[in-house]
Amino acid sequence: MLWVDKYRPKTLDQVLVHKDTAQNLKKLVSEQDCPHLLFYGPSGSGKKTLIMALLRQMFGASAEKVKVETKTWKIDAGSRTIDLELTTLASTHHVELSPSDAGFQDRYIVQEIIKEMAKNRPIDTKGKKGFKVLVLNEVDKLSREAQHSLRRTMEKYSASCRLILCCNSSSRVTEAIRSRCLNVRINAPTEDQVRRSLLHFFHSSSIKIPILLIETVNNTILFLMGLNDSLQKIVKVLEFIGQKEGLQLPSGFASRIADKSNRSLRRAILSFETCRVQQYPFNINQTIPPMDWEEYVAEISSDIMREQSPKRLFQVRGKLYELLTNCIPPEVILKKLLSELLKKLDEELKHEVSHWAAYYEHRMRQGQKAIFHLEAFVAKFMSIYKGFLIATFG
Amino acid sequence: MQRDIRKWLMKAHDKGNGSAEKKPPPPPPAETKPETPASGGQEGSGRRKTSKYFATDKQKPKDDKVVEELPVKRKTQNQSDQSVKPPPAKKAHRVVVDDDDDDDEEFVMPTKKKNAVDATPSKKLKSGSGRGVAQKLAANDESDEDEDRDGATPLKSGGRGRGGRGASGPAAGGRGRGGGRGGFMNFGERKDPPHKGEKEVPEGAPDCLSGLTFVISGTLDSLEREEAEDLIKRHGGRITGSVSKKTNYLLCDEDIEGRKSSKAKELGTPFLTEDGLFDIIRSSKKKQAPGKEDSKGSVEKAVPLQKKSPNKPEIKSQPPATKVAQKGLASGASPAKQKVQTIHGPSLTWTEKYRPKVPNEIVGNQSLVNQLHSWLKNWDAQFLHTGSKGKGKKQNDSGDKKAVLLCGTPGIGKTTSAKLVCQMLGFQVVEVNASDSRGKADAKIAKGIGGSNANCVKELVSNESLGFKMDRSSHPKSVLIMDEVDGMSAGDRGGIADLIASIKISKIPIICICNDRYSQKLKSLVNYCLLLSFRKPTKQQMGKRLMQIANAEGLQVNEIALEELAERSNGDMRMAVNQLQYMSLSMSVIKYDDVRQRLVGSAKDEDISPFTAVDKLFGFGGGKLRMDERVDLSMSDPDLVPLIIQENYINYKPDSAGKDDNGMNRMKLIARAAESIADGDMINVQIRRYRQWQLSQAGCVSSCIVPAALMHGRREILEQGERNFNRFGGWLGKNSTTGKNLRLLEDLHVHLLASRESNLGREALRLDYLSPFLKQLTDPLRTLPKDEAVQKVVEFMNVYSISQEDMETIVELSKFQGKSNPLEGIPSAVKAALTRAYKEGSKSRMVRTADLVTLPGMKGIKKAPKKRIAAILEPSGDGLGEENGETLVESEEENSSDTEDTEETADGGKLHSELQSLNSKGIQVEVELNNPENSNSKKKPAGRGRGGSASAEKKPTGRGAGAKRKR
Repeated sequence: MLWVDKYRPKTLDQVLVHKDTAQNLKKLVSEQDCPHLLFYGPSGSGKKTLIMALLRQMFGASAEKVKVETKTWKIDAGSRTIDLELTTLASTHHVELSPSDAGFQDRYIVQEIIKEMAKNRPIDTKGKKGFKVLVLNEVDKLSREAQHSLRRTMEKYSASCRLILCCNSSSRVTEAIRSRCLNVRINAPTEDQVRRSLLHFFHSSSIKIPILLIETVNNTILFLMGLNDSLQKIVKVLEFIGQKEGLQLPSGFASRIADKSNRSLRRAILSFETCRVQQYPFNINQTIPPMDWEEYVAEISSDIMREQSPKRLFQVRGKLYELLTNCIPPEVILKKLLSELLKKLDEELKHEVSHWAAYYEHRMRQGQKAIFHLEAFVAKFMSIYKGFLIATFG
Repeated sequence: MQRDIRKWLMKAHDKGNGSAEKKPPPPPPAETKPETPASGGQEGSGRRKTSKYFATDKQKPKDDKVVEELPVKRKTQNQSDQSVKPPPAKKAHRVVVDDDDDDDEEFVMPTKKKNAVDATPSKKLKSGSGRGVAQKLAANDESDEDEDRDGATPLKSGGRGRGGRGASGPAAGGRGRGGGRGGFMNFGERKDPPHKGEKEVPEGAPDCLSGLTFVISGTLDSLEREEAEDLIKRHGGRITGSVSKKTNYLLCDEDIEGRKSSKAKELGTPFLTEDGLFDIIRSSKKKQAPGKEDSKGSVEKAVPLQKKSPNKPEIKSQPPATKVAQKGLASGASPAKQKVQTIHGPSLTWTEKYRPKVPNEIVGNQSLVNQLHSWLKNWDAQFLHTGSKGKGKKQNDSGDKKAVLLCGTPGIGKTTSAKLVCQMLGFQVVEVNASDSRGKADAKIAKGIGGSNANCVKELVSNESLGFKMDRSSHPKSVLIMDEVDGMSAGDRGGIADLIASIKISKIPIICICNDRYSQKLKSLVNYCLLLSFRKPTKQQMGKRLMQIANAEGLQVNEIALEELAERSNGDMRMAVNQLQYMSLSMSVIKYDDVRQRLVGSAKDEDISPFTAVDKLFGFGGGKLRMDERVDLSMSDPDLVPLIIQENYINYKPDSAGKDDNGMNRMKLIARAAESIADGDMINVQIRRYRQWQLSQAGCVSSCIVPAALMHGRREILEQGERNFNRFGGWLGKNSTTGKNLRLLEDLHVHLLASRESNLGREALRLDYLSPFLKQLTDPLRTLPKDEAVQKVVEFMNVYSISQEDMETIVELSKFQGKSNPLEGIPSAVKAALTRAYKEGSKSRMVRTADLVTLPGMKGIKKAPKKRIAAILEPSGDGLGEENGETLVESEEENSSDTEDTEETADGGKLHSELQSLNSKGIQVEVELNNPENSNSKKKPAGRGRGGSASAEKKPTGRGAGAKRKR
């Protein structure tokens, strides 16, 4: 099993990275009335982990007894009936799904599932009417219509069901939904959290490995970013982990992993483990294998920087297609491409290029064929950069 | 005297320069050869410089060589051609006089010929086989044929001119189509004329070229192929595709040694340069005044001949109805009486008036008409006298079917043929068409004819009509014509079935007529009918018939114009006649240009392929198209055209970029075009998703027209070995691959979720997990010894419920073009061992995922029940306790049954034992219906191990299955 999953905290008490948040959530749940929740934050910061821990807190261990189902909904949409299928992850107490998978028909899913849940309302042991929890992933990818229909149903059926929404960016969730939820921001781990959790780790006697590991890697991230000055402590932690896992970990190496991880805990641990698979004992200069697609995007960016011609644009189109067919979301490609380009770009162009990237990303969401917009961005960049080169070097 | 036809045409042109009346030729182009203007000025009356072909002296010898192959022929030809062609081989200062002479000759000749020719079609009317065209040219060709006989012998030895090809090909290779052969492949590469638009196109007498036949080859000096064709047609000339004996000139500015030129040499066809053509046209202008007289005379001469034309039908058969029309025909023949005639029958449209009166008048499809005729003639003998059934079979096989189905595009005379044939055989025609309700016959036939129309038909077909005389032999025969059978629509419920029933019982012949023989509605009908597919008549056939009409109406039209009209109307005779009548209202002399102009707008919509549309938009004339033409082009397929444009716009070298040394302008234009295409995508979303169809024009402008307007120009290839044609839009294929991969990824995702080791999202799975998974799955195979590696990998797969398909998915999604295959370096023995080990392990493996399973007892049912089984996994004791991944799989079975017992008390031990007896492998599964509310009550034991059969694995799982069924 991968370490990420192996050392994932299972209860709110075990959570250390976002300890405050976790404690607050615990209080919230224990006071019986839980509002709708909206978790948002960058990927790899621990939203899902928190949600699962929260569910466990609410319903006990049975919340983890989930089954995967492909559900079919027959929806009567005026003149015709639509068959929709979606994979759900459900326990007796909650249902989890990603409605955005249904494309632009997601609004029917949102309406139907909530109505359905309202129909069979569970009764808890004390005879009181309980509620079910609906976990919706990727709410920011929901279409506007789905979000609108969500806001009504959220109120109407609030007695029988609670929503936990989870997304990366709250800015793409409508105001109306945000105001109906308790917003919980889960940021990428910061210095402060790490330091506190470190202290906690050293002082408490019942240290559990998973937290330790997470904190360690996390710490190395922050150390590298120059946020943490307690070098000595970190080295100690690293050594400790090394012992626990039976590894020899050169200190500089961990920080290099962290550097690559882009402040995502998940990424850090995964690449840590990949390195372990690849080569052990660790070498301080060992190459940390990049994600395959990131490598490819970097290649595209250097292609673009090297030559700006229709021919090159044509080749880049082929490579972008390659990424898209390999299921890399276009937004991610564009973002990564921009950051790669910015690395090599002249200062005075950075602003303009970023502007255009944002412009085309916005349009990409309004459109449907992502490649058109990616290509338009590349073409725009080529034309800007070529003009710049000619102006500078003649 | 002159050995090189080119030289002589050049001389002729110089004459033009010398004569004051002619406009001076445009200045030679400056950009190709800077020294050209100077040298041109020096040489004065020397060689013309606009053509690259003559620009260098180096190429001169080659010219000589080419022509030297046919020295004898040339001489004879020159002599014989002088009567036809204007430019004689004479000295420059004698120009004016000579020109006049030539023109006179030239102009009179064709008109005389025309007179002779005009007579032929009317005489030939009976044969009606489209020989008219050939006939017309016969007079023209006489001289050619003579000359051919003369030139035949030297030519044979010359051997099709192929020998010279290798040597001279490269010299001429600068432009034109490389090597003649494989012309289609290179078609897209035909170069623009080198001096495009630089010469002034002359205006000549409208039919100065009439009677001449041209073949165009290669690239001309200043005209596009289409422009040249237009020019020749406008002046009454005829264009054919390949060289034959009847070809008067091969129009080409350079000898590219292709098929046409070698054929021309073989036949001794003279070569003509573009300048030569201009000269012919120009020289005719001077003589326009006498020309007009002549043409008038020709019409007058035509009149008496025309009067003969109606004679034939009169002689043949004289149905009373035709008499009036014939009077009209005869009277209409002379222009003087035209006014009277129009008063005579103003209400009659020409289509009615000139509807063929005898079968032979039908344009085209004569054999089909004959077939119809014989079928109808034999019908009685074959079907009515049931006693002689056996005999009937032996007759020609067209009589096998009781009904006949005529099909073909509108306006080519199906209904007319049917009616005429019936009329001729003395049948009484009953026609039922779309204007009648043609539903199923009423069950109560008692309602009789007063009821629905179909009852009428039933009556008709099942009864014999009786004449007054009660004489069996002479009772009127009737025939039923079902017109527009493919148009039977919602109102005509059961119409086709009823028609078939009618055919079966019919005692009279039934003729069905339809447009689309492949229509779904007609599938059943086709089996009962003899199928006769009408083809579109050729433009010559149509032109001939139109000429008759025009003459009868006193219109002055030349044949080229009529053929153009025929071509434009795309084989629709009715429409062509209508157009002709319409034009006759405003003018009495119709020229080629009139036809062209009028029909550009009203031309029948023809199917234009998306590729053609894109070619046109991006092609050389792309900038000149009108906006509505562009919209039409891009709307020809609003889905595909934008995709093809998006795929190919990078390939074009925009004209509008101008001088563009470093490609900067082009890059800017590409960026603008790309943005516009992206706009189009956004608009498309609005149209499709929010049904804002009023935006479709805007979408078409931004996704097709703007990119095309920015980028139109010459296409170039970007990849080695690519053919210079527009590629099909790649988006469709890539999108479907993406969709497929997403489904596979979703399968993997579901399996991971079902393993309950992780609850990640799909995106995170792809972005973060896939690489580590791949490492975990493949690295051990590469490094560790075989058994250990396999064991390790299988363990890992079990932990995450990764099936072998999922493993393939992981590998597939990690493949990138230009990167090494992730499976590289793994010996196949190890792969095989892995497969074996996995299969081995699957005997004891839990079903951990949502699999589509056929329930026992339901195997016979085709449709898979919409039920899923989902594994209930044992709850983990505590979150962190499960570090014993190795023992997990083995212990799971016991665990799961335990938990089942404790938790699912409703099912009880009975069910459980039942389950176990059912499933010897002891695999615990739970079947659940879709609606959760009754899931508890309907829980049924059903077992099916994942490893129970390998085929279970093959079944599509989860979302994949869903998607498949949707399709």
